[in-house]
Amino acid sequence: MDMQPKKVGVLSCSGEAEAEGTICRNAVRLVMEKYRPDVVTTLCLPLYLAGDTGEREFAKKFPVISVDGCGKLCARRATEKYSGTVQDAIDLRALLEEWGVTEKLSRSHPGELEDKLAERLAAEIVKRIDAIIEDGKIVER
Amino acid sequence: MGNEKYAILPCNGMDKEAGALARETALRLSARQAGEIVCPVLYHRSAKKYGKLLESSPLLVIDGCRTACASNLAKESGARITRRLNITDYLKGRGIKPGKSLELSTELLDETHRILEELLETDSEEGKAAIAADFTAPLEYETFTQDKYIFRVPRQGFLFNENDCWARVDGTRARIGISDFVQNSASDFLFFEPPQVGAAIEQFGEAGSLESTKTALDIISPFSGTVVAVNAELAEAPETINGDPYEKGWAVELELADFEGERELLMDCPSYLGYLKKKVEREFHKKERE
Repeated sequence: MDMQPKKVGVLSCSGEAEAEGTICRNAVRLVMEKYRPDVVTTLCLPLYLAGDTGEREFAKKFPVISVDGCGKLCARRATEKYSGTVQDAIDLRALLEEWGVTEKLSRSHPGELEDKLAERLAAEIVKRIDAIIEDGKIVER
Repeated sequence: MGNEKYAILPCNGMDKEAGALARETALRLSARQAGEIVCPVLYHRSAKKYGKLLESSPLLVIDGCRTACASNLAKESGARITRRLNITDYLKGRGIKPGKSLELSTELLDETHRILEELLETDSEEGKAAIAADFTAPLEYETFTQDKYIFRVPRQGFLFNENDCWARVDGTRARIGISDFVQNSASDFLFFEPPQVGAAIEQFGEAGSLESTKTALDIISPFSGTVVAVNAELAEAPETINGDPYEKGWAVELELADFEGERELLMDCPSYLGYLKKKVEREFHKKERE
């Protein structure tokens, strides 16, 4: 049984409105299930917004990375509204620009490109998690 | 309903297996019907984004578990839910207990086919009659205190009129009752005179009456509609309203006639709370002067 504490929260865009959002949620699942399962707790954004005290308290006590699909920044703004500042924030559209990705992405029929971007984003999230751990910010606030 | 495309608002599926199945079911239904998915978060943040879609399409909400985040966010944003599906309840009926993993097992993926078949079959057979209103979700309250009195107002899902009567809306139905303020002012209720089931009620019309040790009053309906049920428990124990005015103390259930047109004349929790505070302060100052 996994007894290690999971101490970095990742709050992802729900991913139902835009292709970039779907990539975010897929990337966060990769991080949670494959790359950093012992460190990451994924917070559920609708549950968080619906007023769940467990999710909101966690985000108050532990560092949180928000992962947003577009400039509406639903995940980041929700965290800031209910739990305080985010430790780090990712806006995938800004990253895509930085990465030079200009192709049109599909939400309903994701293919190889969307899968690759989810992997690349997952790697970026992992990098930021590791930086938080190295900085020693993983301890309870 | 059978031939209409749904707008589908699903659970996000990032917390439990049942949620992941809710989302998967939504995606498959969307692909099958070419229906639109409504993002629960974006809708909560900016309801206008889906305004046209929800004017023209019935809204199906698929919740993963009984926390019912998708339903709650939809209601909080003012959505009129046409149909609701709760995956945990569905699975319970099939003798399946969902777990915590977000990776769906083959067994659960197979369930999506059954869920969709049942959903669409029920649509074509029963249409809107298949919609079951659910008024059992637990409530959270805002409170404020004046002297020895504590007044409670439910945070979500309720609309109020200036007569201090409330409506708890779910889909095309609403339960009607009186607020904590009225029960505090009226003291112990002794009699409840309900309207006839089947009666048509106008907005701000009378939906039954109450008599307490101090006063007699009419329940002023926040919405128009047809009475489909009355709370039989109140005939035996009208004091239930004093103990629990917002849940067990509901008075009348209506099939709504014009939700969209009439809700503009009502107050949500923050508006009603502000209105109530002023009213209570006025009442107390008046008593002090007397």
